[in-house]
Amino acid sequence: MSMAQPYSGPRTDAFGGSFFSRLPERIAIPEDFRGDEGLMISSAEQFSRKEVLPVAERLDAQEDGLMPALLRKAADLGFCGIDAPEAYGGLGLGKNLAARILEFLSLNASFSVTIGVHSGISQAGIALFGNHDQKKRYLPGLVTAETIGAYALTEPNAGSDALSATTRAERVPGGYRLNGTKMWISNAKWAGVFTVFAKIDGKEFTGFIVERSMPGVRVEREEHKLGLKGSSTARLVLVDVFVPDDNVLYEPGLGHHVAFNALNLGRFKLSAMSLGPAREMIGQAARYALDRRQFGAPIASFGLIRQKFSDMAVRYFAAESMIYRTGALIDDAFDAHGSDVAGNRRACEEYSVECSACKVFATEAEAFVLDEALQVYGGYGFSEEFPAARHYRDARISRIYEGTNEINRLFLADRLRRRDREGRASLTSVGDSYVSELAGRAMREDVDDQVRMGALSDLVMLVYAEQSSRLRASQSGIPIHQTLSQAVTRWVNPFAAVAFQTVTGETVGLPSPPTASIDELSDAVYAAGAPL
Amino acid sequence: MRILVTVKRVVDPYARVRPMPDGSGIDTGGAKFEINPFDEIAIEEAVRQREARGDTEIVAVSVGPSECEDQLRKALAMGADRAILVETGDPQDSSVVAAELEAIVRELKPDLILMGKQATDDDRNQAAQMLAARLGWPQATFASKLTVSDGSATVARETDTGEETLEIPLPAIVTTDLRLNEPRYIALPGIIKARTKSLEKRPRATTALPKTRPLRYETPPSRPPGKKVGSVEELVSELRARGAI
Ligand SMILES: Cc1cc2nc3c(=O)[nH]c(=O)nc-3n(C[C@H](O)[C@H](O)[C@H](O)COP(=O)(O)OP(=O)(O)OC[C@H]3O[C@@H](n4cnc5c(N)ncnc54)[C@H](O)[C@@H]3O)c2cc1C
Repeated sequence: MSMAQPYSGPRTDAFGGSFFSRLPERIAIPEDFRGDEGLMISSAEQFSRKEVLPVAERLDAQEDGLMPALLRKAADLGFCGIDAPEAYGGLGLGKNLAARILEFLSLNASFSVTIGVHSGISQAGIALFGNHDQKKRYLPGLVTAETIGAYALTEPNAGSDALSATTRAERVPGGYRLNGTKMWISNAKWAGVFTVFAKIDGKEFTGFIVERSMPGVRVEREEHKLGLKGSSTARLVLVDVFVPDDNVLYEPGLGHHVAFNALNLGRFKLSAMSLGPAREMIGQAARYALDRRQFGAPIASFGLIRQKFSDMAVRYFAAESMIYRTGALIDDAFDAHGSDVAGNRRACEEYSVECSACKVFATEAEAFVLDEALQVYGGYGFSEEFPAARHYRDARISRIYEGTNEINRLFLADRLRRRDREGRASLTSVGDSYVSELAGRAMREDVDDQVRMGALSDLVMLVYAEQSSRLRASQSGIPIHQTLSQAVTRWVNPFAAVAFQTVTGETVGLPSPPTASIDELSDAVYAAGAPL
Repeated sequence: MRILVTVKRVVDPYARVRPMPDGSGIDTGGAKFEINPFDEIAIEEAVRQREARGDTEIVAVSVGPSECEDQLRKALAMGADRAILVETGDPQDSSVVAAELEAIVRELKPDLILMGKQATDDDRNQAAQMLAARLGWPQATFASKLTVSDGSATVARETDTGEETLEIPLPAIVTTDLRLNEPRYIALPGIIKARTKSLEKRPRATTALPKTRPLRYETPPSRPPGKKVGSVEELVSELRARGAI
């Protein structure tokens, strides 16, 4: 199946988790972004290169007003409302395209998290669960970045266990009185609107739209962080804040739908945001390796350095293949269901297994790439004079927020099994690859401890990664993609064998690996100065 | 007022390209194509003139293969009102381009033609001058500043001896230098709006043949690396050894 037609329109035969049990005829691939979509993506890249990267150091120094000004500049170009509804000032474009644009806006991670939260989870709750009046009041200002948005779920004692939040909302005439402390709130320093979760009378978990100007709202203690120093992360302290009834998001007691569905999309977008810095550093490190000479030759020519570039390109390719396959599926789900709040809920939830797989895989690929890219620089990588150090620090958070990778790992396989019990997915694997066959066998096990559940999730994730890479390669018809896809399989198989052993206690033999292609892949990365 | 802007599709100026093994052309491999950067400045300038004057129509014109549509779409996203693509395959040299542009100009009768001073692929720096000659219009090349008033344009040009300011009557041709402006980022709403703008494809209007013929493309011979010397004595003896003195 070479040079198949571009992906178009809803593929009604796909559903959440269906990749596990059947092979689709066609998937969406990044090569499908064409024509003026490419123009949007390259406009985002230019913005990153000309406006954001040159001021990375000044952003990290928290120069007054610089980040909000940058955000407004981005908003002027349409970058803060890409997938926001047109009726409220947004561009109404798809989530997949929005994610690709976000990837290229994410070459600097501090800017990435700022615009990611502002245009993503801070708006998603309102856009998907708000009523007309709420959308009209808040979305236009967020789209222009006249108001900056934030999302406040986490508390000092309620992190992964978000539903154990203790922020309270007491019923009072005309609304609620909120008290509590939210922690680690991105954008808090600049934000005018917060989506806040609190429990009504200590019980019903509920979303509220809180304005900074409401009496009793305080932002305190900017955190001193390992990385993302240019972003704002602070506490939101609520002391007797009166929030009118009009600002309750969705229904009292249904805040978990708002919170977790916003996070589902958030995870998907974060996976694309994690690719940005990885993409940037693959290119930077390739140029460095070609330039840096030791033992009379460019270090790029050494086998162990070539291997790094080959491995980096392989992880990037797999992550990219999964993410933009998933985004199109999410778009389809919105096309099919997303005409009202109930439909939005369904659309956000449908591909939650895929979203978690993307989040875990892409953030770990990012960590791998930024670590190896730093290694390419040797001692210079450890110095602030070169870009590797900042990217390395900044990337560490990706595996922690939007659900830690542990939480996502627990969720992944468990959710697929739940879908099976509900008759919404099947656990019989396609068996079209070694990893798929192992995953199918592993799924038959009763798994009740976390370590085996984590390994089972790894298998599910690897099935999705391997299959997405392989289908993309056969569809794109780009010769180097075949090499990349084979290298993905080569890398995935031993990893899957270990996970299988963890789940089942059985050892398995490995299939003979496809031939290694380190020279071909590294040469291609050197020539492209970018991932392939 | 009507401004005509020319748009050439060129290989990404930052891409590394090679001559084909048989020397018959350039192998652009998988490189991206862009609007010639000088033409982008011309489009930006047209948009600024419209912003300053109002009531101005900007028509972007490309002469070349059908793929030029991508670049014209970008010109529309940058602010051109409509676009025309004269499909010629590879127009081969500037004289063919100038002949085709002449036909368009005689039809559209623009008041001002803005063109890049040269294209970054072949650096010929000819099309505008040839077009001016064919039309018998005044021209100002390498503009670093442009002011348009009724019936005339004032153009500043940076020359080796200082800044020269010219006044030329309209209609006229002005070619852009790097310093004229810095093109803005393309806003997403502009890209979406461009979807509904007209992009007309038409066949060639002339049978003009190229007046030049490239014989061969080859990579310049690589220069041997230089050497750092520690002292004047060492320099002198190195030069002697190489027979330079
Ligand atoms: C820079 C930054 C920005 C942030 N931005 C926001 C924001 O804008 N809005 C917001 O609401 N929050 C935000 N957060 C909070 C973030 O989402 C949480 O830090 C994250 O969810 C983890 O919670 P925690 O820090 O309390 O860790 P904990 O929940 O205490 O976890 C500690 C460790 O235990 C593991 N663990 C926890 N529970 C389990 C379990 N059941 N099984 C196995 N392992 C488990 C975790 O994986 C982790 O490794 C941000 C955090 C940071 C650092």
